[in-house]
Parts: sequence; structure tokens; C-alpha cells
Amino acid sequence: MLRRDFLRNLVITTGGLVVAPSILSACGTSATSTGELVIGTPTSPTKLPTNGEAIADGLAEEKGTLEILNWADYTNPEVIADFEKLFGVTVKTSIYDTEEAAVAKLRNGTLKPDLIIGMTDTALARLVAADLLQPLNKSYIPHFSNLIDGLQSPYYDVDSQYTVAHVIYANGIAYRTDRIDSSVFTSGNGYDAMWDSAHKGKLAVLDSYRDTISLAMFQAGNNDVNTIDADILSAAQENLIRLRDSTNPKVDILSYQELPAGNRDIAFTWSGDILTALGYLPEGVSPEVLGFWYPEQTITANDFLCVPKESKVPVLAHKFIDYLLDTDVALKNQTYVGYQPALSTITVDTLLSSGTIPESLKDSLVTPEKYDSGQRLVSLSPDADALWLDVWAAFTAG
Amino acid sequence: MKRSPRIWPALAAPGATWLLALFGIPFYAVACVAFGTIDPIFRDAIPQWNPLAWDFGQANEVLQSAISGPLQGVFLRTIVYVIAAMIISFAVGFPVAYFLARHAGKHKLLLLTLVIVPFWVNYLMRMLAWVNLLSPSGLFSRFMGIFGIHYNWLDGSPITVIFGLVYGYVPFLILPMYATLERLDWRLVEAARDLGATSRQAFRLVTVPMAQAGMAAAAILIALPMFGDYYTNDLLSRSPRTEMLGNQIDFYINNSQQPQRGAVLVMMLSALLLVALSWYLRSTARYAKERVK
Amino acid sequence: MNTMTRRRISFLPVIIWGYITWSLVPVIIAVAYSFNDGRSRTVWQGFSLRWWIGDPNASVFHDASMRHAIFNSLILAVTTVAIVVPIGISLAVGAHRLRGRSATAVQGLTSIPLITPEIVVGAALLLTFTRLFTGIPLGFPAQLLGNVTFSISAVVVIVRARLVSIGSGFEEAARDLGATRFQALRYVLMPMLWPSVMASLVVVFATVIDDFVITSFLSSGVESETVPLRIYSSVKGGATPALNALATLLVLTSFTVLICGLFGLSLWRKRHGDKGGLRAALSDITQADA
Repeated sequence: MLRRDFLRNLVITTGGLVVAPSILSACGTSATSTGELVIGTPTSPTKLPTNGEAIADGLAEEKGTLEILNWADYTNPEVIADFEKLFGVTVKTSIYDTEEAAVAKLRNGTLKPDLIIGMTDTALARLVAADLLQPLNKSYIPHFSNLIDGLQSPYYDVDSQYTVAHVIYANGIAYRTDRIDSSVFTSGNGYDAMWDSAHKGKLAVLDSYRDTISLAMFQAGNNDVNTIDADILSAAQENLIRLRDSTNPKVDILSYQELPAGNRDIAFTWSGDILTALGYLPEGVSPEVLGFWYPEQTITANDFLCVPKESKVPVLAHKFIDYLLDTDVALKNQTYVGYQPALSTITVDTLLSSGTIPESLKDSLVTPEKYDSGQRLVSLSPDADALWLDVWAAFTAG
Repeated sequence: MKRSPRIWPALAAPGATWLLALFGIPFYAVACVAFGTIDPIFRDAIPQWNPLAWDFGQANEVLQSAISGPLQGVFLRTIVYVIAAMIISFAVGFPVAYFLARHAGKHKLLLLTLVIVPFWVNYLMRMLAWVNLLSPSGLFSRFMGIFGIHYNWLDGSPITVIFGLVYGYVPFLILPMYATLERLDWRLVEAARDLGATSRQAFRLVTVPMAQAGMAAAAILIALPMFGDYYTNDLLSRSPRTEMLGNQIDFYINNSQQPQRGAVLVMMLSALLLVALSWYLRSTARYAKERVK
Repeated sequence: MNTMTRRRISFLPVIIWGYITWSLVPVIIAVAYSFNDGRSRTVWQGFSLRWWIGDPNASVFHDASMRHAIFNSLILAVTTVAIVVPIGISLAVGAHRLRGRSATAVQGLTSIPLITPEIVVGAALLLTFTRLFTGIPLGFPAQLLGNVTFSISAVVVIVRARLVSIGSGFEEAARDLGATRFQALRYVLMPMLWPSVMASLVVVFATVIDDFVITSFLSSGVESETVPLRIYSSVKGGATPALNALATLLVLTSFTVLICGLFGLSLWRKRHGDKGGLRAALSDITQADA
């Protein structure tokens, strides 16, 4: 049946192009399964299965090169330069745009980093199932205790066996205060601004399917951002298509550059991005032009650091993790990256008093209370993930 | 003497083997991925190397989507953009090539050189140039502002994308077009004029038919890369509203966990181009036959 | 009739000069902005060499990642040329003499890459290197193999055109005078192929150094980033005029190679008593391209 459908479709699309019938001679499947996904959620935290062993205690760190896999502009170059000097090593960085692409490239060996920065919960179950990570040896990470309490043993990785939390952020709407009146966010449903055709061509959403589909759910008043309900998803799809047709959005993760450059007015993005954007303001433009609306119903998240199983310099990678948890280093990193370190030693007040964050962007900072009240995106089962990806495909196909 | 004729196959062997291994086999690999299975955990493609066990489920889904689902728009849009860009490219490129071939006179070398220059300027550099000009603070936008036209050219508009394609590919049309016109036997056109045809008639009834095969070749030459283009679109728009087939292939192959869909799209693109190509071959064959008559 | 001719003559030059302006001025402006004193690539703030050599961190001269990209591009182009030109020439010469079914097969094998969009080749090779030939890592090795594969046909086309124009007379004369087939090939045919070798060098070098799609599909992150990849990833967003400077360098490199090739060719022609000089050399290269 399937085969006949396929043939008919082929004939329709290719205008009767001939296909050798022999290739269609048989049908069959041979699925290859590789383990199970172990998924923790805030309501049922999980201890991940242990694959392999952590490195032994008391090893000297390796010399040579540390290859980091990172988001673009996600670690202060000066912080990296300091680390190079401190340990007499070279650090090289590869960039990833989406977690899905990075996981795929880690699996097929295209990327072979020694340390990964910035992955989130949504990728963790697959990283572990593919046996890509090594358990961490915390004796190399004395600064671990600087982490905020809730993240020393997060629900997705109880006891932080594989991961060490890095930064915290929330999803929200970044905008230009000189072009958009902030009252649109306070009167009525603030999310509606993303559907306003007045911002046509000047609006962006994240090139991250979980985040952007959740946006459509929040706007419709639905908070179940880990749903596997096909009806809710198809409603979200329609909602996203409505957004697309009325605002012609850009789909990327570049709003932290494009907003300050004045090329767009409003963008659904991660809260840390608006602080990163400060560094991209053209000379002579006041930081007051940047605004951020922190929705009441939204996603809060943290990302983490982890060490691949195949890391060539595992001790050095542990040292880098510890280095980033140092309060002074984390502060220095924050001034460049914008994102808030997940450290209890760096509070919202510390950040405000350091003077790098203007009063107007105070709302974009994540307090412990805000952090706890947000929704979390968790890894989805493969079948549910497929539903989400289909929604995304329909959206991006324009 | 006895063994020497083997020298020719021996000379051809390394190159032919190379192409077989790295051009022929990869096509087979695309089919194996497209008709393979999906890893249940990672949703990644598992190639099926045995053609007898190929599974057409994914391919069917993609085809279904191309006929009546979300991909329909992508296919239609791609075809419309490419055809529009091709028509404009001819409108711009043909007169340029015609002038070069017939009326350039003593400036010919200079003009030819200037027309060739863009050919050698990196494609992305030329796009970079336009991104700068078209951005809201760019020279072009400010220039248009003088006339009261305030428009964000980079906000995902089809016009910008089509125009970008024309700008990018028109040099690749002009040169072969020029080569064709240069080689035409212009005495036939003069004969037609002597026999009383107006210059327009001579152009329509003599020049165009003679140049037809060359025009078709030039059209194919720019249409093929345009069908697979994604970077022009990505740099000048990056909006779902202008998403083309190339963007979808790039997305599925490079940025998603569903490369098998990308593989199916690659096969569909190849099939589409095969149609275009067979049209070209037929029309040149017909042309050759008419010439014999 | 006279007015008709005059009208056509007067309207065509407008088109051609209009076209030349339209095609070149944006590029010239982009080059000019590499000398901008400010951070902007769109608003002129005075002349400076800041983005070329002045800035101690962000200028092309000092930015390590840009230098790395230039280095990668050059290495990739040179090694590709070194591999593809011998393979391509030998394939062209061999295929030229083949007859029968094997000739058709080789003919097909060499012409299909010419009409295949790069994205198809790039995607196919990526899937192959990550799933079948997994011993070939992405990055430089894969990029090299990909670019060689995509360039072989260009060399074959260029060399074959030359073979056709040479004809078989010279070789036959050499054979009549007692040369072996190999000697005739080595001492008679090879020297006459020189212009097409030169044209192949130039065309392949320029194609590879400009290549984006295949090189990008087969790259492995920053380690194997070339200049076009760098331009692509930085055009959007807040890149400085150093990006324009980098792109200008790329264009200058292509032109240097092109001009060297042109002079080499016209010199060769002069020495061998051919007429036409520069113009003939130009057409050697452009015909080859088309």
C-alpha cells in the first residue's frame, strides 16, 4: 500500500519521470535501537545511569590544547585568555547553532571537543543515551559549592553526575524602547505583541523549536510546554503560522546583535541575550534603547557544562569547569556574555551594583523566586519529539 | 606497440575511479539514507545499504508534504523564484551579451574585461556588498529614502531574494550567451535584412532561432545552481516566508536530526533537474535535426 | 532604417554601461568601507587602516581567526589544484582516445558533475563521509576530497577543448618518425597542452578558494573555517569592517592568480608565435569557465 502511494506521489511530483521499478521491488524495515532515554522532570527527578568511570583523583592537568564546543559569543575571550595564561595551554572553540545539530555531529564524530558549554536539559537524555559524556570527578571542582542550591543536584541529573550548571535565564521578549511602547506588554496579554503585524519584518523568534513552539502555547494561555497532546500541538502550529503570516519573522539566534544594530525592533529570545546586546550597541547609542519584557508565564532554564567521554584532556576540562565557577571569573565572564552565572555568590544585587547592567534592564534578571516559578523544558520521548519537529517543519517551510 | 593501446584506459582510470567512488557512490548513499530507517531514540537516519530492504515510509511522507502539505509552498516558491530570476537575468544579460558580440567595436577588450570581473569576485563578497547597501542604514536604503521610499529590504521580501539571485547569477549567463552570439553567422541576419525583413523581424526570425540552443544552455547553466541555492536567501532574507528548497535541504541535512528527509529532498531536487535537463537535451536534439534539414 | 540602427546603438551602450556599474559599484563600495574609521559597515566615518592593520585585536592582520581562515583557504586551494590538475589532464587525454561503450561511460561520469548543483554534491558527500567512508574525517580531508571531486570535470572540459583544437596530426607525425606512443605523448602532446594546464590551474584555484557550499557542508567547525565560510557566518549581525577587508583580500587573491595566469598564457602564445596575446588568453580562460 505504502509502496503504491509512494509510486503515485513520485509520478505526480516528477511529472511522470521514470524510475527503475527494480529499486521498488521490496519493502522491509530494520530498526536499530540503542538503549533507553532516561528523562528527569521537576516532579520526578532522575539519577542518570552511570556509563564508565570518572577520572582518578589527584591527576596533574594535561598540557596542549583544550577544544571547547560553545555557542557563539558565549564565553568572554579575556576569560579564556586568562585561563590559557594560568595553565600554559591553548584553547580552541567550535561553535554550534542548535542543540540538535550539535548532538548529531557529536554522534557522528564530526565534532570531538574536550568540553561542552551551554547544552540544556532538552539534549541531556540523548547525550547520555549515546554514551557521549563521562561522569565528573568533583574533587577537581572545589568551587562546585558556589552553585545555587537548587542546581547542585538538579532534577535532570541528580547529584550532578555528568553536568555542572553554568548560567540561568528566562525566555521573554526583547525590544527597542525607542520604537515600541512598553505599555503593550503591561496592558492585556503581553505575548500578543509578537503577533502584531505592525512589527512586520522587524521581528524575530528563536531558531530553537522547543522555545518558539512554547511561545505559541503561552500566547494561547497554555502552560504545558512538554505536552505530547497532538491537539495542543496542532493548535500551537496554527498559532505559529498566524504569527508567521502577520509578522514575517526572522528565525535565528542573532537578536543580541540585530536589536542593538537597529535592524529589528522586537524579538522573542533568552533573557541573557538582552544583556549580551549591550556590548553590541553602536558607539553613542544609549543602553536605554534596549528593553526586556519578562512574562509571568514563561520558561526558566539553566544550561550546563559537561565533558565528553572522548575528551583528550579530561583533567584540563575539569579545571576549566572549576575556573568558570570561581566568583571573580564568573563576574568577568558575565560582563561580556550577559547571561547570569548560576552561582549563589552572584546575586541580582551583585550584578546591579557592579554597574554593568542599566536600571532599565533590571527586569531581565532572574531572581531565585522567578527562577522557581517558571516552566521547564524537559527532554521528550522520541515519539513526542517527532510531533514537535513536525510542527516546526510546517512553520519553517513558510 | 603491443601493449600501448592500454595506455588510454590507464590514463583515464584514476580520474574515473575517483569520480565513481566520490560521485557515484555518494548518490547511492543518499538513496540509502532516504530509504533507510530512523533510529527510535535519536531520530537520526540509519542508512539501509541493501536496496531490497528499502523502506519508503519517510520518502512517502515527504512527497505527501510536497503535494499537499507544508512543502508544497516551498516547491512552488522555488520554481517561481527561479523562473522570475531567469527571465530578469535574460532581460539584463541578453542585451549585454548582444552588444558585446556585435557592437562593442574598439572598446571590446575593455568591456569584455569589465563584464568578466564580477565572475571572479567571490559570490559571498557580492552578497556582502548588497547586505551592507540594503540594511536600513545602508547607502541604498538611504538613497531610496530621498524619494520617500522607506522599506526594509532585508525583512524577508521575495523581491530582494529574486533580485539577489539575478545579481548573483547573471554573470554566469552573460558569458555563455556572449560565446554563442559571437559564433553566430551574422551574414544570415544581413541576408534577411536584404530580403526585406525589418530589424525586429530579422531578430525574431533569424537571430533568436540561431541562438536558441545557446540560450537554452545558458538558462540551464544558471537554473541548476539557483534551484539548489540557499545562501543567497539566507543572507538576504532568512525568513520562513521566502524559504526555498535549498534552505530546506540545508536545514534537514545540517541542522536537524532528520537527515533522511534532507536525503529525500536531495533526490527530489535531482529528479526535478533531470526533468529540466531532459527538456534541454530534447530541444537541442530537435534543433540539431532542424539544422540538418 | 538609419534611425532604427542609431536608436539601437544608442540604447545598447546604456544597458551595458548600466550593467557594468550595477555589477561593480556595490563591490567597490564594500571594498571602500573596509577603510572606514568607525565600526559600521554602512555609515562612513572617515578613512583609516584600522580594520586592515591598525586595530591590535580586530583587524585582519591581527585577528587570529581571520588569519586562520585565510591560511585554510590557501592550503585548500593549493592542495586541490595539485591533486586535481594531474588527475584531470590524464583523464581528459585518456578519455579523448577511448572508443565505444567505455568512452560513453567516462563521458557521462565526467559531465554529470558539471550539471549537478553543489548542494547535491555537498549533501551526498556529507552523508557518505559520516555514514559510509567514516575513516575520512570532516574538516580539511573531506573538504579536499569534495573540492577535487567537484573540480575534475572542469579540468577535463578545459583540456579536452585544447585536445580537439590540437588534433591528432602532430602525434601521428611523431609516431611516423619512430616515437613510441608514450614518447609522442610526453614530448609532443604535453608541451602543446600547456595553455590548458595553465587555464585549469587558474580556474580550479579560483573556484576552490571561492567555494562555499561543499566546503561548508564538509567543514568541522572553526578548525576548518575558510574565508567564504567566515564571510557567510559574519555577514549577519554586528561584524566590523574587518570583514570587508577580509573579503577584499579574497577577491585580490583571485585576481592576482587570474592576472598571473593571463600573462603566463599570453607569454606562452607570444613565444610560440600565436597571435592574439592578452585577448586570446582571456578567451582561453573565459571559454573554459563557461
